[in-house]
Amino acid sequence: MQKLIWILWPSFVVAGIAEAVFFTLIDPQELYLFGEPANFSRIATYSIGFFAFWAVCAASSMFTCFIQRSSREINSCPLPKRERPRDCPKSEE
Amino acid sequence: MAQTAPQQEKAAAKVIPIQESSLYEAHKKIYARSVTGVFANWRWALVWITQTLYYGLCWVEWNGRQAVLFDLVERKFYIFGLVFWPQDVFYLAVLLILSALALFLFTAVAGRLFCGYACPQTVYTEIFMWVEKLFEGDRAARMKFDAAPLSVHKLSRKAAKHAVWAAIALWTGFTFVGYFTPIKTLAGSVMSWQLGPWETFWILFYGFATWGNAGFMREQVCKYMCPYARFQGVMFDPDTLIVTYDAERGEPRGARSKKADHRAAGKGDCVDCGICVQVCPTGIDIRDGLQYECIGCSACIDACDQVMDKMDYPRGLIRYSTEHAIAEHWGRKQIVRHILRPRTLLYGAILSAIVIAAAVGLTLRQPLKVDVIRDRATLTREVEGGLIENVYRLQIMNLAEEPRRFALSVTGLKGLQIDTDPIVEIPAAATQAVSVRVRVEPDAGKRGSNRIHFEIRALGHDDIFVREKASFLLP
Repeated sequence: MQKLIWILWPSFVVAGIAEAVFFTLIDPQELYLFGEPANFSRIATYSIGFFAFWAVCAASSMFTCFIQRSSREINSCPLPKRERPRDCPKSEE
Repeated sequence: MAQTAPQQEKAAAKVIPIQESSLYEAHKKIYARSVTGVFANWRWALVWITQTLYYGLCWVEWNGRQAVLFDLVERKFYIFGLVFWPQDVFYLAVLLILSALALFLFTAVAGRLFCGYACPQTVYTEIFMWVEKLFEGDRAARMKFDAAPLSVHKLSRKAAKHAVWAAIALWTGFTFVGYFTPIKTLAGSVMSWQLGPWETFWILFYGFATWGNAGFMREQVCKYMCPYARFQGVMFDPDTLIVTYDAERGEPRGARSKKADHRAAGKGDCVDCGICVQVCPTGIDIRDGLQYECIGCSACIDACDQVMDKMDYPRGLIRYSTEHAIAEHWGRKQIVRHILRPRTLLYGAILSAIVIAAAVGLTLRQPLKVDVIRDRATLTREVEGGLIENVYRLQIMNLAEEPRRFALSVTGLKGLQIDTDPIVEIPAAATQAVSVRVRVEPDAGKRGSNRIHFEIRALGHDDIFVREKASFLLP
């Protein structure tokens, strides 16, 4: 849950800023999608744009969380102690 | 300090259990009356002011339109008499810089004034807690109520609370969207169940955020989500007003009889009632010193002052003071004198300079903007009479909220003239592209590009005038 918030919340804030800057400078009616003018209403473009920004920023946050793991976290067995097989070399960890 | 077992037990018994979600109304356990005090009144005053503005401003009319409207569909921002276009993004940047500087200044002078009094998170939490108290009682009653087994009574009370919360949250979401699409149209669509999918979504989204933040997350938002809470410390200095516990006066704390001479018994003024902790919306103990969780709401000041009154001690054991003032035993006068210091003077000076510059810029702003684009299809062509013609596209924006007629003229080459209608009418607050053909004798200038100027003047308003450069190609 904490990780989820770490990923979703900062990306939400940054997506909001990115959205404001991007659409202040660019009129959604001037955007092209696959080489054709995007025929969405402006409100729809703004909304979709926001979620696109959010998704991109969340991906970045997710990657940060992913590479932030310590070597102990990576090396240790993901199973809780009592669920590890008896002969597991890491059972004593 | 080594403690004996009974002492430890006693100390443990005195620890007030911190309940993450229901701390704010905690003092009600001891006082039958609600917390009153200077700062509680200020907080409520700010709730009324900010929310009257927020819920009310979107309904105000101006020039036959919504007074404050950030019209995303038309890409125009209306603020009373001013209309901002995407080209005016400069003013948006100025506004952001002003807000940041104002925040720096206020924080340097008096700490987290914004957090404690005006932040929407604080304001909505205050409103939602008031509703909660209405249905579930004060802290003690609420703790009992939550611990009680599920019953029809409990269920109905909870449902009623959530219904009122949801109503406030939905109205907040509706108002929010009403600042971006005209609110009267929006209200009409809501009434006739014809709300667009995106409007519906954003009303629900903002409503849900309000409900969650003010009803459940509360101080968690300040402690874990707010970036300002994390960096406000760097704007503090030893002369910043902060909510402070006067440890010198208060310690050693401890319970005592009101009649006993606590000084003679070697005790400070703090009776260790723990009410300051119970009223704290973020659940901290201000007696541990300044902490980043403290949002500066001053609830503990009000609470402690009431205890001091009961004990017949002077008020202000917890008060607004500064690090210097506490250390050097300064009075109010010296604290006020130290508000003016290099940091605040610098923030103040930059702030006023930008405000003045922006105000001047706004007053002198021409309600007319013109972009000249060369027609890309034909660079240059020869027309009847041997004249050379260039074609331009003039993007004329009439920023005024009335239709205006503009006279076009062109200068820069001898005999240069406009072949198309030199008078154009642009509707109120609108942009129009005008195709303009310009002609000249072939020997009027050098071969290649010649600098010319378009002049656009509003008829009847000689001061509204724009001069834009362009290039004229001669073969």
